[in-house]
Amino acid sequence: MSSPLHLLPLCQLPVGTTARICVIHGDEGFAQRVREMGFGEAALVTKISGRTTSLCQVNGTRIALNHDAAMAILVEALPAGAR
Amino acid sequence: MNLPPHITSPGKKRAAVPDRTPVYAMVGNPNCGKTTLFNALTGLRQKVGNYPGVTVEKKIGETYSQHGKPIKIIDLPGAYSLAARSPDEAVLRDVLLGRRADTPQPDRIICVVDASNLERNLYLVHQILDLGRPLIVVLNMMDLATGAGLHIDPKKLAEELGVVVVACEAVRGKGIVALRLAMSRIELPLARHRWDVPAPIAPAVAELQASLCDADQRSPLIARAEALLLLTDLDSVRVAGSKPISPRTIEVLSSWRKRWEGNGTDWSGTLIRSRYEAINQLCAQVLRRTRVEGPSISDRIDRVLVHSLWGWLFFGLIMAALFFSIFTLAEYPMDWIDTHMAALGNWVKTSMTPGDLRDLMVGGVIGGISPIVKFLPQIMILFFFVGLLESTGYMARAAFIMDRPMSKVGLHGKSFIPLLGSYACAIPGIMATRTIENAKDRLVTILVAPLMSCSARLPVYLLMIATLLPNTSVSAWSKVGIMLLMYVLGTAGAFGFAWLFKRTLFRSAPPLMIMELPPYQRPRFKEISRQMIERAWLFLKNAGTIILGISIVLWFLTTFPKHPDPNATPDAQIAHSFAGQAGHFIEPVIKPLGFDWRIGIGLITSFAAREVFVSSMGVIFGVESADEDTTPVRDALKNARWPSGAVLFTPLVCFTLMVYYVFAMQCMSTVAVVKRETNSWKWPLFQIAYMTGTAWLVCFAIFQVGRALGF
Repeated sequence: MSSPLHLLPLCQLPVGTTARICVIHGDEGFAQRVREMGFGEAALVTKISGRTTSLCQVNGTRIALNHDAAMAILVEALPAGAR
Repeated sequence: MNLPPHITSPGKKRAAVPDRTPVYAMVGNPNCGKTTLFNALTGLRQKVGNYPGVTVEKKIGETYSQHGKPIKIIDLPGAYSLAARSPDEAVLRDVLLGRRADTPQPDRIICVVDASNLERNLYLVHQILDLGRPLIVVLNMMDLATGAGLHIDPKKLAEELGVVVVACEAVRGKGIVALRLAMSRIELPLARHRWDVPAPIAPAVAELQASLCDADQRSPLIARAEALLLLTDLDSVRVAGSKPISPRTIEVLSSWRKRWEGNGTDWSGTLIRSRYEAINQLCAQVLRRTRVEGPSISDRIDRVLVHSLWGWLFFGLIMAALFFSIFTLAEYPMDWIDTHMAALGNWVKTSMTPGDLRDLMVGGVIGGISPIVKFLPQIMILFFFVGLLESTGYMARAAFIMDRPMSKVGLHGKSFIPLLGSYACAIPGIMATRTIENAKDRLVTILVAPLMSCSARLPVYLLMIATLLPNTSVSAWSKVGIMLLMYVLGTAGAFGFAWLFKRTLFRSAPPLMIMELPPYQRPRFKEISRQMIERAWLFLKNAGTIILGISIVLWFLTTFPKHPDPNATPDAQIAHSFAGQAGHFIEPVIKPLGFDWRIGIGLITSFAAREVFVSSMGVIFGVESADEDTTPVRDALKNARWPSGAVLFTPLVCFTLMVYYVFAMQCMSTVAVVKRETNSWKWPLFQIAYMTGTAWLVCFAIFQVGRALGF
């Protein structure tokens, strides 16, 4: 199990890095919509660009999140090449 | 020999063909190509309206089975899930569950799936399978899936789900015939839903299902589907026209929620995870990835278009092209319409006997229709551009780029599109707010949209600038500078008030924006043109009828009561009329801004449409054909005097009047649309109050300070 120290908000994930979604904060409606779009816990996400507004790829879908939304999603970065 | 499914083998009894027209509902995720497919099936046989009591577009089309029998299709709003987050999604849910009295539950459902994104799209299919309705799954965008190295076996998918599956490329018209054949089948197989409700929530589902069957009179299958939905439908977005659920069912739901909150069960997360596990198992059977996907063309384009520097540059170029088109290209058709409307007015004038009826036709009816028809080219160019940007997929990127500045005032990127549209006309801009899910954000966007200087203000700005800077040797840059200042003031006002409203009246947590960016596609000009014509017609019908009505009322107010002297000049008649009396009545209020009763009449008549100010000034100052050429009006304004002999239209007054038009809420058709979109008079009246109040205060400050400084 990952130590909480290894989790970081999605907006801080370096560009080009793949990570596993671990925790979704924010209000219930947001968390539910995120999960329904396939962005739930254990999904793999790759950061494409952005430090404030983030552009990510999940299961072939390109998703844009604003800063507050990207702060609400905590991920665990995977080692390069791991998937 | 395997016969096609629509041909029954001899000896089998053929089920009786139902007499009434079967109704299909077409559903799918946003950007799955549902509308393209709908248009391909129905062609021009479409009717567009609104669901009663709610601002969601209702689109019904007709197609024909292979036997030539009509089939109705309802194009429902796109959604990721039946758990509604917005009025659009609430209507989708309510229609499928049979909760709307104005729309009977569809007989069959067509679920359109983006084949290049199978897992995510199957989530909605998975929920719809719960309904137990006959279902056809359309695997659209198969070309994109193949291009991405994804191979889907439609036969295997059909076998696993127990429904008809049709592979399709709606853009190219491929698969439409097969879909039509499937839709023509007398019987569709019932779905085989092999998914079990997760054990932790199964008792709750059973109890809710029982309550829905008993207290809400739902059929068992619909009750089960609705029970599952209630567990994820957190805010229960309710819209007008939707049947509410019974108090008993609400009580059952509340007691289970309290229990789970007590022991920390994440019922919604459990349900969603369980569905995705089932979907992943299904995809393992039907989907093969033949290569690891590298950066797609869309990814490569996005590296530039959403780049922190190049993205803004490209965005600026696109916006400049949009404004250039709206304000320059549209000039030619607008001039053409102007000329012909003036010719029509002259023809009516010469053909009819002089009298009130002729004046009503010329001043009220033609005078009322002219402004709205004249601005149609600008509206159509705006719709074309917006359609082009949406069709290519760039609009979502524009919202992404604009999210950061919008977030400074508490809104998010999706509010950008309605505000952009408001530069041409606030009416389509306000209607575009329907895509904003958060009700408070939507309302704030509606309230500030009219502050974006619309094209109707241009004639007023041009007349005032001509009066302010009459000398043709003055550089065009000065005039452009003043025009630009008005646009900047309006935009700053919109952002300023959005910031204020989000911190006071509509305080809420910062919006969390999550938005899918669809892959870039070649623009589909046929569809863009069709949409442009459809939206323009709706605009003409909605705004046109309101403006015409108001114009007739204003004609009455400027015509009656009649001046006792039958030979009175037009300006004397208007001074004697109700509008003139109203102008005198409001003069004490507008005098501190440097305006007199004649300008007051112009402000009142501007309620029909802001550009009516120019023709009103023409009438008041005795100038014919003021709309065709503002030069005589400008000269007349320069010669206008107060009773004391002081010049009325000083440079300060001209500038103040322009600023007044930046901020004041004057367009009654916008007021009517706001009332319709908010389902209440409260917000349009608030809008009139805050905008007109701001206009008065700002203009008071400008005029009084300017006068004190000797201007």
